[in-house]
Amino acid sequence: MTSTFLLLGVFINIVVFSQTALKYLENQAQITIFFKDEFTEEKIKTYQSELHNDPRIMDVSYVSKEDALRIFREMNKDEPILLENISASVLPASLEVKTKDITQLKNISEEFIQKEGVEDVQFFEDVIQRFSVWSRTVYIIGFILVLVFLIVSYSVVVSTIRTSINNRGEELSIMKLVGASDEYVKKPFIYQGVFFGVLSSFIASIIVFLLDLTADKLKIFSDGLSLGFIPGFFISPLIFSLILCFVLILSGFLLGLLGSTTAIKKYLQS
Amino acid sequence: MSQIEFINITKQYGNFKALDNISFTINNGEFIFLVGPSGAGKSTIIKLLIREELSDAGEILFNGKNIKEFTQKEMPDLRRKIGVVFQDFKLLNSKNVFENVSIALEVVNSSETEIKSIVPNVLNLVGLTDKILSFPKQLSGGERQRLCIARALAHEPDVLIADEATGNIDPDASQEILDLLGKINSLGTTVIMATHDERMVDQMKKRVLRLDKGSIISDKKGGKYRE
Ligand SMILES: Nc1ncnc2c1ncn2[C@@H]1O[C@H](COP(=O)(O)OP(=O)(O)OP(=O)(O)O)[C@@H](O)[C@H]1O
Ligand SMILES: [Mg+2]
Repeated sequence: MTSTFLLLGVFINIVVFSQTALKYLENQAQITIFFKDEFTEEKIKTYQSELHNDPRIMDVSYVSKEDALRIFREMNKDEPILLENISASVLPASLEVKTKDITQLKNISEEFIQKEGVEDVQFFEDVIQRFSVWSRTVYIIGFILVLVFLIVSYSVVVSTIRTSINNRGEELSIMKLVGASDEYVKKPFIYQGVFFGVLSSFIASIIVFLLDLTADKLKIFSDGLSLGFIPGFFISPLIFSLILCFVLILSGFLLGLLGSTTAIKKYLQS
Repeated sequence: MSQIEFINITKQYGNFKALDNISFTINNGEFIFLVGPSGAGKSTIIKLLIREELSDAGEILFNGKNIKEFTQKEMPDLRRKIGVVFQDFKLLNSKNVFENVSIALEVVNSSETEIKSIVPNVLNLVGLTDKILSFPKQLSGGERQRLCIARALAHEPDVLIADEATGNIDPDASQEILDLLGKINSLGTTVIMATHDERMVDQMKKRVLRLDKGSIISDKKGGKYRE
């Protein structure tokens, strides 16, 4: 039981974490267009405004030779020897392009490689796509696992309740013969099932919460977590974790309720 | 209107007819013995009346209402109006005398105060006050039977049914029980008693319904066990 909810919690966490990572990757410059040295800034800027009006494009930014140098210095600040021989002139100016949809990456890159003044086009299609394929696989496997565990837990609840009904079978039939209503006979078992479900999901929630707390302490997701189905929405990991725990406990409650109701219904019908 | 009415009732267990097309009526406040050899169908009549079992043919009316028409919600009501002393007692061995009676009240959500006043009352009526903390296993046959009567009386039923255990009670004990049932009957409760005790039946001079092999062979006011 607890492991089901633990799995469910961890799974939801993985989904949200990987979606956040995916969003993060998508938000990085996905295409970098490098220009030949002789191609002037003005000409580059015309491309930029052209791209700006392109509906497939989310954002374009211009990186001048000086900017490139600054970035290069920043990246290699521990290697002074490398820096000595570098000046702005050897680095190419570039445009960094973010598309709205990563499936457009290839088309756009191919359009640009043929344009005048373009030296090279690099894009991260592979990385992003591989990552999204990978995360989709994780979702599917996780989803199946959660489903299997839910079914198993449901059966565990049903059979546990049924066992305790059978243990008290004589008592229950006597209670009914002296005038107990079905409701009265049901109640303790429903409580038992709900208690069982809530307890196991509660334990799982604590573990999930501790995991998330650790993730938060390590500042893995400084921008907060993104939920894929709500674009541009970010949420603090801790708040997310609390919501997740609530969802877990709620599903524990429902699972216990459903399982015990089913078990007792079968008994009362027979 | 009769309180209890059996109309052409047949009950089969497999191919065996425990009750074969029997009809009778019982009026409010009557005292009636069900007699007949073992296996005649006495307990079966009682089980059908409280719908512990369902009949295969015929109708049973309680206060004019067909008991098959009682809904799940109304069933507890039927069982509270008919208190039964079961042949096999159906006591809870893990509960003491007090609890065995109070359970009948707990299941209808009676309050603490009601339970605290009713239980000692009925236990006093059946003479088990000093055994209140004993467990069923520590009681004699007669005491167990009286405990069952106490439990059956807890709801102040309209009908009290005693399905007497066969031959495990001494004559004094059964006399006590008979007196008790007489007293309850004189307060207006219908009493139905299934018994093998010839002396008891003859002494009471009440209505006797004789069964044999699932059929009624005689039904006489002021009847005797034999004849
Ligand atoms: N659940 C059952 N399954 C099969 N047969 C049953 C069942 N209950 C009762 N019978 C049979 O029905 C017949 C009537 O049983 P019942 O208990 O009514 O007899 P009785 O008159 O109460 O006998 P006794 O005086 O011994 O208590 C018996 O032959 C019994 O074997
Ligand atoms: Mg019997």
